[in-house]
Amino acid sequence: MNRDQQALLAAIRQSDPKLSRFDPLPRIVTFDDFDRGFCGWTQLVGNYEHSLDAMLPGYAQHSMAMLSTLPQWDFGSHGAFDGSYALKLATKPRKAAQNVTIKRLTFRKRGPIRLEFYFTFKPEATELRLSEADVRSIGFLYDLQTGDQDTDGARIMPHMRFLNAMDGEHVQKWQFKRHTTEVKPIGTENKTISHYHLAPQDWEDLPGGSQKLCYNEIPTKVNWHYICFDFDLETMQATGFRCNDRVFDVSGFDPIRMPAMRNLWCMLNLAFFVETDVAKRANFYIDSVCLSGDF
Amino acid sequence: MLLESQAAVIARNETWSGNVETEPHEAGWAREAIFFVRALHEAIGKPGTARVELSPDGMRWVPEGTVFDLPRKPDEVTFARVKHFGTWLRVTAELPEGASLVVLVTLHLKG
Repeated sequence: MNRDQQALLAAIRQSDPKLSRFDPLPRIVTFDDFDRGFCGWTQLVGNYEHSLDAMLPGYAQHSMAMLSTLPQWDFGSHGAFDGSYALKLATKPRKAAQNVTIKRLTFRKRGPIRLEFYFTFKPEATELRLSEADVRSIGFLYDLQTGDQDTDGARIMPHMRFLNAMDGEHVQKWQFKRHTTEVKPIGTENKTISHYHLAPQDWEDLPGGSQKLCYNEIPTKVNWHYICFDFDLETMQATGFRCNDRVFDVSGFDPIRMPAMRNLWCMLNLAFFVETDVAKRANFYIDSVCLSGDF
Repeated sequence: MLLESQAAVIARNETWSGNVETEPHEAGWAREAIFFVRALHEAIGKPGTARVELSPDGMRWVPEGTVFDLPRKPDEVTFARVKHFGTWLRVTAELPEGASLVVLVTLHLKG
């Protein structure tokens, strides 16, 4: 793309109010505004064979994301960043409960990709108190695998979470993960395995990753935040991360790496997750998502 | 413009006994809903009925008025249709002492 083409593309995008708050790479892979529906975001169901009893308990707790107007008992619908609806992911009201929503794609080219999204999070407002340490974390991940002809075959899972609170302490820092649980065979046909990559252990602090986010002053008021995460599918390394006004050094970031699996070639899955720190539902709201690539 | 539509599994492989309820489901965008309850195994005892509930805030619940039988045999399915429900929906049941049921509950929304 020459400079004139780049300038034209930038002008078109910046004049579109929906896109001008994103900084996408040249090709927009998916632009999900939840005023248009669920946009392919679904429940992460665990693997099983013959019986649902085979599903690992971490996955068994997952449920479907919802389209939400962020309705509050004390003033009504909050609404989204733009329009009425955001995607809401809610945990069950049990300490350390988690939930995950996922979108399943494959990639066309191993090169730079950029994930941008606007989000907020709050506990269910069951108490008339600030409750700022009730949500344990919110986060996002990719689940990737190289192509079937690539010589460096591997499954790669970059994870990033904002650890808001742990056991009542208001921590507020970004963390990443380079280990999953032991891979376990599922069923009897030797075709399915499972592991729980959101197990509570093995989170590591992103160097310089402390950040205080706007929480507001009661549990029903929210403010929206921006994230941009750059990843290179060629090197399978993170290349950039920002949240609102802060740009973080990702040279110490490392994804989970494991041997390639038999059915996952060119996989490009995106997922969002939320964890609660108390016996109260934690809600993670995503207004819109833009995934773009340099191809 | 096509209608929005969603099929959501809201309880999967859960064993119901005593007082049970599904998680609050926000669906203010939908004009109609159907709950299906499928028995994954033979029920123990007589599980009885379930009822649909509404809520002004997802935390305080009132009966909507619809009551339907819970299934008893493996893969038996029962259902309830709901319209004009506001923002929140759930299903609750009070299984008699000694009764239990393993369920797959789905909620089908359209609007």
